[in-house]
Amino acid sequence: MLAPVDGDGAATERAIVVAAQRGSDDAFAALVRLHQRRAYSVVRAIVLSHEDAEDAVQEGFLHAHRALDRFRPDQPFGAWLYRIMANAALDLVRRRKVRDADELPENVAIPFRDPAESGELRERLQEALTHLTDRQRAVIVLHDVEGFTHGEIGRTLGIPEGTARSDLHHARATLRRLLQNIRSNS
Amino acid sequence: MIDDRWSRENDVTDALRAHYAPPSDERYWDALEARILAHVARGGTGSEGWWSALAEMARPALAAAAILVLVAGAAVVHTRQLEARNAYASVISAAVPPSVESSARLSSTPDGDATVNYILSH
Repeated sequence: MLAPVDGDGAATERAIVVAAQRGSDDAFAALVRLHQRRAYSVVRAIVLSHEDAEDAVQEGFLHAHRALDRFRPDQPFGAWLYRIMANAALDLVRRRKVRDADELPENVAIPFRDPAESGELRERLQEALTHLTDRQRAVIVLHDVEGFTHGEIGRTLGIPEGTARSDLHHARATLRRLLQNIRSNS
Repeated sequence: MIDDRWSRENDVTDALRAHYAPPSDERYWDALEARILAHVARGGTGSEGWWSALAEMARPALAAAAILVLVAGAAVVHTRQLEARNAYASVISAAVPPSVESSARLSSTPDGDATVNYILSH
């Protein structure tokens, strides 16, 4: 589920990576085209907004470009790239927290508000997501929305697989508890 | 591992998927790809926020500050040299002592006494 290419696609991707490592801008552009959606999904699971996800994806690809010569082509490129993406997103979240702490602390509690979205469940879900830790939120989104396995989540976020499993359990329990009323009414 | 109870709660999962759904418009992805490549090409400046802009400015700002310190230091040294020179000049011009010979000549005391008086008076 982690890599967007399989089989022959993996060999093609490996050739593209090698070309990018030799300095081909076109090859790097092809890697961006191939992975940007998945990269967006990974960082979106970690940051609090679509705009932050865009910033994190750009930063992640920049870091990947700088570190490309250290990547071993025999490794899965997707796993390597998404780990970089996750780190870029986590770094952005940390910077946002420092900034928000310096500015308006009361704004931190309502990061998911989007006036364009409707539906009570969705609104309550947005509110409930703020009760999860950053890591729990990332784990449940990567697992339940993106379909990552526990092992893939662990490798992407740099945590043990058991921790990912535990975070998923606690995240689901929290959401279940917070959304219980609305779900039983619907 | 699938949590059976959770898997039945499809409405929550559906809401999660809706909330985190990526943009579906192909043009969005074309635009994002262009932004990513531009970001990489310029080495990351421009979209990292004000702190990166400050970091970019830090080097020339430090150079400018160093030049200012050097210029200010040179000005202070020059001013102090001028003040010292003026001080010496004012002291010398305000109290030019008569020579020993002229002091002795003007005095009615013997030459030996005149010399002693001159030395004691200065």
